[in-house]
Amino acid sequence: MMGGDPEHTGPPFFAGDDAGHVGADRPPALPRHVYVHVPVCRSKCTYCDFFSLPVDSVPMPPAAIADALLNQTRAWAERGLAVGGVDTLYIGGGTPTMLGDALPGLVSALAIWCEVEQDAEVTVEANPDSLTPALVETLAMAGVTRVSLGVQSFSDAELAVLGRPHDATEARRAAGWVVDSGLALSVDVMCGLPGQDESSWRASVAAAVGCGPSHLSVYPLQVEDDTPLASAIAAGELTVPDEDEVAAMLAAASKMLAAEGFGRYEVANYARPGSESRHNTAYWTGRPYLGIGPGAHGMLDARTARAAGVIVPDGVARVRYGVTPDLREGLGVMPEVEVEYLSGQEAAREDAMLGLRRTRGIDDALAARAGVVQALKSLAAEGLVSRVSGRWAATDRGWLLGNEVFGRVWAGG
Amino acid sequence: MTNPALIRNFSIIAHIDHGKSTLADRVLQLTHTVAERDMVEQVLDSMDIERERGITIKAQAVRVMYDADDGNTYQLNLIDTPGHVDFTYEVSRSLAACEGVILVVDAAQGVEAQTVANALMAMNAGLEIIPLINKIDLPAADPERVKHEIEEGLAIPADEAVLASGKTGEGVRDALEAVVRLVPPPTGDAGAPLKALIFDSYFDTYRGVVALVRIVDGTLTRGMKVKMMATSTVTDVEEVGVRRPANTPVDLLGVGEVGYLITGLKDPALVKVGDTVTLAKGGATEPLPGYRDVKPMVYTGLYPIDGDQYPDLRDALERLTLNDPALLWEPESSHALGFGFRVGFLGLLHMEVVKERLEREFGLDLLATAPSVEYHAFLTNGDTLSVHSPQDMPDAGKLDRIEEPYLKVTVLVPPEYVGAVMELAEQRRATFKDMQYLSATTVDLHYEMPLSELIMDFFDQLKSRTKGYASLDYEYIGYRESALVKLDILLAGKPVDALSFIVHKDKAYQRGRVLTEKLREIIPRQMFEVPIQAAIGAKIISRETVRAKRKDVLAKCYGGDISRKRKLLEKQKEGKKRMKSVGSVEVPQEAFMAILKVDE
Repeated sequence: MMGGDPEHTGPPFFAGDDAGHVGADRPPALPRHVYVHVPVCRSKCTYCDFFSLPVDSVPMPPAAIADALLNQTRAWAERGLAVGGVDTLYIGGGTPTMLGDALPGLVSALAIWCEVEQDAEVTVEANPDSLTPALVETLAMAGVTRVSLGVQSFSDAELAVLGRPHDATEARRAAGWVVDSGLALSVDVMCGLPGQDESSWRASVAAAVGCGPSHLSVYPLQVEDDTPLASAIAAGELTVPDEDEVAAMLAAASKMLAAEGFGRYEVANYARPGSESRHNTAYWTGRPYLGIGPGAHGMLDARTARAAGVIVPDGVARVRYGVTPDLREGLGVMPEVEVEYLSGQEAAREDAMLGLRRTRGIDDALAARAGVVQALKSLAAEGLVSRVSGRWAATDRGWLLGNEVFGRVWAGG
Repeated sequence: MTNPALIRNFSIIAHIDHGKSTLADRVLQLTHTVAERDMVEQVLDSMDIERERGITIKAQAVRVMYDADDGNTYQLNLIDTPGHVDFTYEVSRSLAACEGVILVVDAAQGVEAQTVANALMAMNAGLEIIPLINKIDLPAADPERVKHEIEEGLAIPADEAVLASGKTGEGVRDALEAVVRLVPPPTGDAGAPLKALIFDSYFDTYRGVVALVRIVDGTLTRGMKVKMMATSTVTDVEEVGVRRPANTPVDLLGVGEVGYLITGLKDPALVKVGDTVTLAKGGATEPLPGYRDVKPMVYTGLYPIDGDQYPDLRDALERLTLNDPALLWEPESSHALGFGFRVGFLGLLHMEVVKERLEREFGLDLLATAPSVEYHAFLTNGDTLSVHSPQDMPDAGKLDRIEEPYLKVTVLVPPEYVGAVMELAEQRRATFKDMQYLSATTVDLHYEMPLSELIMDFFDQLKSRTKGYASLDYEYIGYRESALVKLDILLAGKPVDALSFIVHKDKAYQRGRVLTEKLREIIPRQMFEVPIQAAIGAKIISRETVRAKRKDVLAKCYGGDISRKRKLLEKQKEGKKRMKSVGSVEVPQEAFMAILKVDE
């Protein structure tokens, strides 16, 4: 079944979305959510600090990268996890469409091998410059249901500053192909860009809506350390809008999108009813997911991790891992991973923190389990969260001051 | 006991980074004082801070035996001295234990400010000066030019200057030959009652206070009863010895010798630098000249960031005071900062070093308030108060007048920077006295100025405005009346005691304005609007506002961002810990130091 409110779609043991997800009676199986990281791009954007390499510098043909990603996925089953029941598959990056003709093959092989559910959500991230009508068609045939198009802005000047290898016209054209093929389209746009003002921002949001997406991701640029953009800003060559302007931009987008029928279901995500991303919702509701490829992250419950041969100390409820961000190491069958352990309470606090990113917020039971009721009460006193019919959720101001809210919830006090 | 004719006592003096400590290392190696395998860099600078900063804080003395070209073996006592104006008194006592100095000058940098200051100090002490041009292995070395500068700027003949490299060891033997040939042997009366100069001391956990001494007259023997003349303390001599550089006991120290003295005394206040040790019975009647009681010049409040560390801070101060009797402290409390101590220092470097040692050696996280001097407040009721902290300043209504300490300040600078110095001096309420040319390249300027102006980063400003060429020296000349007011800073309407300071009334408005502007930049936006005001009494003289926070990053958060996001939030929480909650306002530590940098 496509669509529908994502938290009501899962099979029974996912039912209460705050209730925890470990079916103790079920044999350890692959997580129901799989993320695959394609570590290449046409060129490096100036703001990006994800692990990705310019494709020209990579000594591997696209098909070899695709094979390595598939083999790494299969290795999890060889370690003892039952295959089947995968509900969402997300091919991100990097720029998956840089794999060209090797991409549809990778998607269909993954879908078949993972035994994805009949109504699975299969998303591929794409950049306008590496998408073609033919690629869209073959992706649709390979089982892709959704394309997330990284546009970021519809101002050519802003795109140039970000080092994006496309312009607004190419973005509109690529979006058109996706919509024409019948695939669900999601478009990313960013505010707080160098040189951006509220009117260029409004124009970008309107243009994004004009592309016909069912889903939009809207978020402020974050200037990460050690990126070319950060250096240019530090050197005074570029200036970014201040926090008041960015706050105004976010509020403007929320209003414009509401008027167009897009609901804000998470701080940075809007969708037409039923088109919310099920994959991303899994991240915010504490569901385990597999991360494949260099720089990818995964999360497993302790039982599943142990079954897959991960050494998990006593008292650990949740294991997070990051695949080493290195082309060779990270593409191996048994890649190096950096592991992080969380206790049951930490896992619950993390769920509470992530849950507050959602419009639905979190229920009393999770708040109590996480030990964050006091924190929520004090945030409520400051008008940053509110409690409505047994659920705690951030207010508009609370969303704008997300770090204050998430930080205090994570600290538990 | 060594024949004084075979003893040479000398010190190595230099501008910072001219290679003094490396040269000392080479002397120890050449004379086989330290085995090769035990050799570390800067052997004599035993504190981490000394090694890292390349400065010497504590004096040191080491005895080396040198087989000279004339066939004799000489006892050379190398006395390493601190090189900073804060420790002028300590340096003067160390130099008083010597007959000569090696003046080290970098072959590329040439004569610099401290070269001049150090050379003048040695001249005033009547010491033989051996110029040594160091780092001659550097590509940029220009010994001829440097010789010229030494002759021109310091009026010291440099024809025969030793050319050396601490790095390669070249010329080090020449330097020691020059010491033997040129530095006069010590003279003294072996038959007279004991007179020994204490030129430094340190605390040993097992042995108590260890004094470094130079014997002027008589002999110092284990088991004798001695008296510290300034403190009239009588005690037994438990051990005498020499430092090679480890303590090596000997039976006695004779005229001209340098060594250490252990008496079993546990209280460093009884064993003062500059004091004279004599016999308890039938001792000398006159002490050696030059002793004075060292008084703190600069005071600051030191507060633990984490209030639970207060007892640890007290313990740490007690421990440091054992080795550094010049450090004075008493408990103090602040509404904004909680419980801490008001600590008195010899100067700003001393303050910085002590703070750093407290943080590093004792694991404390400290906040220091703006430094202050000791003001004398004369009240209308006839009482007089000593004020070490703005918090103790009485209300204007009760004040008759305030006096503040003044200095005679000497600045040596090349002629092209005279204008820059004049400008700075004027901003700092300095009164010009006179100026004269010492040479074509050095002008000697004299001012009288308040100490409170000097401690407000005057030295840094002077250095930066003269490209590092200026050298500074000062002496205390007494208290003078000044039109001073207390300036308060209010955050969200409440005065923050730790941000108050005392300032001349003509500069109050400008300081207040600059400081509120600076605080507006430093204090992060909070959940609510925070007004920042500067006030004299009830009168607000400037106001700024930190607007309420509106947006605090809420970027996307997908699978790969979760751990990172959590770590970011944890870091943010750590960051908050480094802030002080003043009422409901989170104030970063730098805010409390902002007062120092009002000239930027």
